Amino acid sequence: MRKIKKAAAALASLSLIVVSACGSNNNTVNETSNTTAATNAVVKEEATAAPQENVKLRIYAQYSDDDTKLPYDYAVAELKKEMPNVELELEVQAQDDGQKLKTYAATGNLPDIYQAGVDIINTFKKSGNILELDKYTDLYGFKDKMFSSTMNTLTSDDGHVYAFPYAGNEFMLLYYNKELFEKNNIKVPTTYDELMIAVKGFNAAGVTPLALFAKEKWPTVALYDMFVTRQEPAGIVKLDKGQVSPSDPAYKQAAEKIVELVKAGLLPKGATNLNYDQAASLFYEGKAAMFLNGQWEIATSTEKLGDKAGWMYFPGVDAASYETSKYSFIGGGGPGGYAVNPNTKDPELTAKVAAFLSLKYAEYKYTQRGNPIVATKVEIPVVTEYPAMMKQLSDDIEKITSTTAFAWGLSDAKFKAAIEDATQSLMTGGYSVEQFIKDVTKAVPQAK
Amino acid sequence: MTRFKKLLNNNWPVACFMWLYALLSVYPLVWMIFYSLKNNDEIFVSNPFGFPTHLRFENYVDAWSKYNVPVYFSNSLIVAIATVIGAITLSVMFSFAAARLQWRFRGIAHTYMMIGMFIPIQVIMIPLAILVRDFHIANTYGALIIPYIAFNLSFTSIVFYGFFRSIPVDLEESACIDGASIYRTFFSIMLPIIKPALATMVIFIFLNSWNEFTMAVILITKESLKTLPLGLLFFQGQFTTNWGAMGAAMTIASLPTVLIYMLFSEQVENALTVGSAVKG
Amino acid sequence: MRKYLGNKTAIAIFTLPALLLYTIMVFYPIMQTFFRSMFEWDGLSAGTFIWFDNYKELLNDSVFHTAIYNGLIFAAIITVTQIGIGSILAFAVSDVSFKGRKILRISFFIPVVLSITVVCQLWLSIYNSEYGLMNKLFDMLGIQYHQDWLSSGKSAIVAIAFVNAWQYMGYHFALLLAGAKSVPEQYMEAARIDGATKLQAIVKITIPMMAETYKFCMVFAVTGGLNAFANMYIMTSGGPGTSTYTLTYLMYRSAFRVGEFGYGSAAAAVLVIECLLATLIINRLVARERISY
Repeated sequence: MRKIKKAAAALASLSLIVVSACGSNNNTVNETSNTTAATNAVVKEEATAAPQENVKLRIYAQYSDDDTKLPYDYAVAELKKEMPNVELELEVQAQDDGQKLKTYAATGNLPDIYQAGVDIINTFKKSGNILELDKYTDLYGFKDKMFSSTMNTLTSDDGHVYAFPYAGNEFMLLYYNKELFEKNNIKVPTTYDELMIAVKGFNAAGVTPLALFAKEKWPTVALYDMFVTRQEPAGIVKLDKGQVSPSDPAYKQAAEKIVELVKAGLLPKGATNLNYDQAASLFYEGKAAMFLNGQWEIATSTEKLGDKAGWMYFPGVDAASYETSKYSFIGGGGPGGYAVNPNTKDPELTAKVAAFLSLKYAEYKYTQRGNPIVATKVEIPVVTEYPAMMKQLSDDIEKITSTTAFAWGLSDAKFKAAIEDATQSLMTGGYSVEQFIKDVTKAVPQAK
Repeated sequence: MTRFKKLLNNNWPVACFMWLYALLSVYPLVWMIFYSLKNNDEIFVSNPFGFPTHLRFENYVDAWSKYNVPVYFSNSLIVAIATVIGAITLSVMFSFAAARLQWRFRGIAHTYMMIGMFIPIQVIMIPLAILVRDFHIANTYGALIIPYIAFNLSFTSIVFYGFFRSIPVDLEESACIDGASIYRTFFSIMLPIIKPALATMVIFIFLNSWNEFTMAVILITKESLKTLPLGLLFFQGQFTTNWGAMGAAMTIASLPTVLIYMLFSEQVENALTVGSAVKG
Repeated sequence: MRKYLGNKTAIAIFTLPALLLYTIMVFYPIMQTFFRSMFEWDGLSAGTFIWFDNYKELLNDSVFHTAIYNGLIFAAIITVTQIGIGSILAFAVSDVSFKGRKILRISFFIPVVLSITVVCQLWLSIYNSEYGLMNKLFDMLGIQYHQDWLSSGKSAIVAIAFVNAWQYMGYHFALLLAGAKSVPEQYMEAARIDGATKLQAIVKITIPMMAETYKFCMVFAVTGGLNAFANMYIMTSGGPGTSTYTLTYLMYRSAFRVGEFGYGSAAAAVLVIECLLATLIINRLVARERISY
């Protein structure tokens, strides 16, 4: 009896917090806590042998560097305050293309909560290994906290919700070292011609024009996308959906431009074997003038280069195209985040934990990692001041006219693999545009 | 005799080649130890080959604190020893029967046994994980030991088969005439003869099991059962990897294997040769 | 004698435990792979039976052709170098009179002991076109031969094969050493008394007597080469583009990155058959007769 009282007290305080957190959803939240209370009681009755009424949930999440560890630890600490009865058992996610998660699904051993991206969502929803969260999107007012611009990270193509997102629409930025440009008297390129002049100029000065970690294939897709979007704002997304052909002018010319620039020495030697650390250090040691990476690199580049680092708008086909396509950004987000195993003991509770973790994960990134690009609104003040480059981006976010997708956000897995291989081949300079078109065409899906 | 000794000893090009090759083989060990004391920048850009400019022992602290080295270490040891014993026992028995005893399907059985070596492990991971679940050995040592034994059988059987086939037939004949049972022949005559092969296979299976990652990462989820290679997961992020700490973890993990090799390769050396067995 | 060696109970006792375990844990999953190779299947859902469509698609897939070709190159390179150099090392070390053989024996095996990740990292640095040792070596020799070893499709597969050849040389060295140790010494002595040089004795006596050892070393090298995966996974991820794909890599990509598990299974099935064929050919080529002393 005492136990039940304690649990009730805990739940009461819990719902109080929830109520104060989001006033507009009083009713739903109260209902939610009531059902949770009921299920908790059931759980307790079942577990008479165990003295504590703790609920243990298995979670499979990324936990390897500061960018994944710190927000996770923060979210878990917050969860401890919010739901002291829930204990998370973390399994560190392996970088194995989902092998482990898929094996778990096949053996019916899926963790209660796991991080899912587009590919996992697509595979798992077909085989019933992911819980449809549509009716849980009001938990903690999750849906209301979403930005209208980030709704695409919540809802999948089929109109359902399968994961609580924390990452917003991230962007690829073209970073540059202002000092290197000034010192070598090279104009920051705004057109392809100027880019070519810059490539030649830097090569003459013994500086690598652009550092790209092309050993990973997704940055090569992004570089290709950068050129495509100067003429076709939807970029690779249209290919992914089978709406265009790689032989269409915008797509063909982008490939031609890359081959031309690569042959002129755009990339460092052996670019297709550079990993992130190698490419980044070229840029930070002042050996490379530009660097292509996501906006998440802002923190590091500010730390390493200070005021010398900046990001530029992508050079356009010509001066007019530069202006018109200035706010055609590349990158973007897709459905993904914390997903729930449909066979979890208490789906409602698990969904609640997942939603809460996502919110707190985003909160930490927003307030303490200097990263405002999150999926949900954060109402508490920022702890770590944003660097100048991030402010510039924040100011621009409203003006962005279009975004595309990162390679990992493409929905057609076969096309994704093919475009990754083909764009990486473009970086070697020994791969013809005809071959590129041929290889990609084979994988472009039939228009849906 | 002496003439031949001289011939080889004075054969300085061979000796030179051998020592150069030895140097080339030891260098990666030294390189790994250097590597484990560097940071990413030194490893990839500023100083990939030389002595670390600044000894970063914190990599070891990092590696040691990230995961429970003593637990992982003893798990690796338990799994490796059990795998060695199981795989050697089963495969030496099987290959003896396939190579020396006379039965109709021995050729087919031998080839059948080989197929396991040809399949990439990733593609059978799902059925394998289902088997492990259905045998109720998930999250026990058995979840690793039993598949490890099974997957080492192919390789090990091929080697033992080859060695058994190299033994002259008259050995069994004389044993039979002496009235020894087939089991005695196996234990007291055959096994001592293939001792070099046994010692070599102990090393190989130990290594295979010690370094195995693909199966372990999928079949083991319990922290208390994890083996050393799984520790590497802690250093690999989606975009970045802490290579120095990973190097430290790998250095810690490889030392026992060097010891095992030293120990058992001595056995290969001291083993009775077939010649002396036939003579004796 | 026939009866002695045909003891049915003994045969059952010796073979059944291994056969049973192997059939359940290894062969059954392999059969599943063959079965699933006839499905359009993502690995989790029910899938559709499509007969041999996956195989037909493989034949038209240019990546499949690259993969087969790369597998053969890889196998050829590691077979020749590992068995060739491995033999030289093993014979030298097996000679009791060779000075420092203990240290050599330990040294040669060290690369095998190291994790493949470490070895691949080392070679990535060696092949690096900016500061790599390989290009420096050519500089030292005064040869103007700067290469982007891993960035050109043609040299990349050869460069990677050499990394594998070098790392696992120790395996073949240890096997060949154990094989050489098993050859009765009196044969060598007899040959020497007849006035043969050391080299002649090795070529004429030891090597033929090690036919079985060579047979399985070849099987390991060839099938290991056809199966190659970890080296390209770590060093190039199959790139640049698809130029360093092998069948195993193709299987991995199809099954886990593209979500076409059925297609990946078909690639794996082709690989198993390819390896089986290679093994049968090796068994035919290398002397079949049993050795009689």
